[in-house]
Amino acid sequence: MALLEIENLNVTFNTRHGKVTALDSVSMHVNAGETLGVVGESGCGKSITALSVMGLIPMPPGRIAGGEIRLNGENLVTASDARMRQLRGAEVAMIFQEPMTSLNPVFTVGDQIAEAIMLHQNVSADRAFKDAVALLDRVGIPSPDSRARNYPHQLSGGMRQRVMIAMAVSCRPKVLIADEPTTALDVTVQAQIFDLLNEIQRDFGAAIIMITHDMGAISEMADRVAVMYAGRVIEEARADDVLDTPQHPYARGLISCIPALGKDDTELREIPGVVPPLHMLGAGCAFADRCDYAQERCRREKPALVNHGHHPAACHAVEEGRI
Amino acid sequence: MNSSYLLRRIGYGLVLMLCVVILNFLLIRLAPGDPAMVIAGEMGGATEEMLESIREEYGLNKPVLTQLAIYVGNVARGDLGQSFFFDQPVASLIAQRVGPTILLVIVAQVLSIVIGVVLGVLAARKPNGLMSGFVSVFATIGYAVPVFWTGIMLIILFASILPIFPVEGMQSVRLRDAGPLAKALDIAHHLVLPAFTLAIIYLAQYARLSRASMLEVLGSDYIRTARAKGASQRSVLFKHALRNAALPILTVAGLQFGNLISGALLVETVFNWPGMGRLAFDSILRRDYPTIMGVLFFASAMVVVANLLTDLSYRLADPRLRGK
Ligand SMILES: Nc1ncnc2c1ncn2[C@@H]1O[C@H](COP(=O)(O)OP(=O)(O)OP(=O)(O)O)[C@@H](O)[C@H]1O
Ligand SMILES: [Mg+2]
Repeated sequence: MALLEIENLNVTFNTRHGKVTALDSVSMHVNAGETLGVVGESGCGKSITALSVMGLIPMPPGRIAGGEIRLNGENLVTASDARMRQLRGAEVAMIFQEPMTSLNPVFTVGDQIAEAIMLHQNVSADRAFKDAVALLDRVGIPSPDSRARNYPHQLSGGMRQRVMIAMAVSCRPKVLIADEPTTALDVTVQAQIFDLLNEIQRDFGAAIIMITHDMGAISEMADRVAVMYAGRVIEEARADDVLDTPQHPYARGLISCIPALGKDDTELREIPGVVPPLHMLGAGCAFADRCDYAQERCRREKPALVNHGHHPAACHAVEEGRI
Repeated sequence: MNSSYLLRRIGYGLVLMLCVVILNFLLIRLAPGDPAMVIAGEMGGATEEMLESIREEYGLNKPVLTQLAIYVGNVARGDLGQSFFFDQPVASLIAQRVGPTILLVIVAQVLSIVIGVVLGVLAARKPNGLMSGFVSVFATIGYAVPVFWTGIMLIILFASILPIFPVEGMQSVRLRDAGPLAKALDIAHHLVLPAFTLAIIYLAQYARLSRASMLEVLGSDYIRTARAKGASQRSVLFKHALRNAALPILTVAGLQFGNLISGALLVETVFNWPGMGRLAFDSILRRDYPTIMGVLFFASAMVVVANLLTDLSYRLADPRLRGK
């Protein structure tokens, strides 16, 4: 049994276009101490998957329409609100995409970390604040003593993300979800944050779910990868396998888009076309309109995520050996 | 917060007060007829000596600028002139009545903010729920209904149907020799209806404003962070969200203070509350200009002080503004 298992998760949203399916039978798992990378273009459902695990899908308009999320075998989808509050921050924690806006502007960062500690550990406010300072030190914030008394607006984006990381690991969660933790930061800071997450994982032994659209980050961080497209997982395997021998045409496209380091040819390539909006998804494969290998069957029938020889990929062309 | 900012704000306040004084001065000069006559009021009984003493006191036979200087100097010394109707210095008239007005205004302000914010927060919890609908309807009604109507309705209700609150005055005559606690309770008892009448308009506005402000804040990223920590619903609403949602409420509360004072004028008249409102009402009816001017000056001073306090508390509440 894996530490965290997501099985056939369906999430729908009520929108002005009617009910749309944001997650369609999403399954993935992560083992203790392992890093699972989740990649895919904007809007493919990465954050919604993460928020489902946290029990933070806004309901309404969202709804978990089916499936299970099991942490150590306990189904979080049916867990009570009180139980979820116990787990959030203590067993599963999350670092968000937007470090600039994810901290409360009217409290000091030390207090915000201390609050997370006090919510789950039976310690005094003094003790919690001291622990918060130690955590700030641990995530590499210089002069943590005075920084702890700063408000978020007094910190740079990179520092704020370090504060978010300190807060997320404050109760030594078993699962740490990092939702594009570096998208909003500049490149040198990105590398530092990745290093920090790697260290934290070594020290704390947490499983990490690393959400990103950056394949470079995947090759550095992830043990396994789930590639998502329009609310479905379309390929899932060890990171090396996906990077070396991507199966699904979308995964192949993603990987060919990584600019080769050290070469002059740094012109960015991209997959032509855009992800169809959720309310326009038809019966067939959502990638068909952008796919060079699409045939009539692809537009009619959704391919299942099945191992066709190498590793699991949801593609008729792969199944039929046409690629 | 730095002190140069504080000094600058106090400076603005003083300049504003000077403007009010000049406006007061112009008010008399622009009124038709002999200023001395105007100041003496149209009681018909202004004798020639009276007019002469007014001309003397206000320097009405001197150049206008000198007159202004004399007037400003008088006000600065706390001399707001003499009420001919009440036959007392205006300053002491106001001093006797300012206490009840401040009491009424502050209690009404606190009531409307506290109740309004609680209603707004409860409504924001479920934006499409029953409470939310109630707040919207209540806000519209509270805003539309004139305060004297509410007052009269409350008087009718409590005077005849449900006589549990006094509908007139501030103190019971029979308690004149009672202890301080009994007196305080008696005043609080008298305060209930006027304070609620005054609070209701603003209460409705605060409810609507805090509902909107809370809804906006509840959608923000740091609220999601608070939930992700495992914070309870109550802590999310009242600690994480309200502290942020309170900022626009604070601004409006400061701006409303002036309206609250003019609202108090009406409420005091309806409930016979012995404050500045009654004084203003009486002096306007009698065209007792020195008193009108004094009340105007004092009400402006209250608004200026309130705005200053609002500004300072805003800076205390929002760390992003501190030290700027
Ligand atoms: N509150 C909502 N109401 C309606 N639709 C929503 C809502 N939240 C998300 N969605 C839809 O769910 C889909 C998945 O969104 P999600 O935020 O998971 O994307 P993502 O993969 O994290 O993208 P990004 O890389 O831009 O962060 C999107 O198509 C989005 O339109
Ligand atoms: Mg996202």
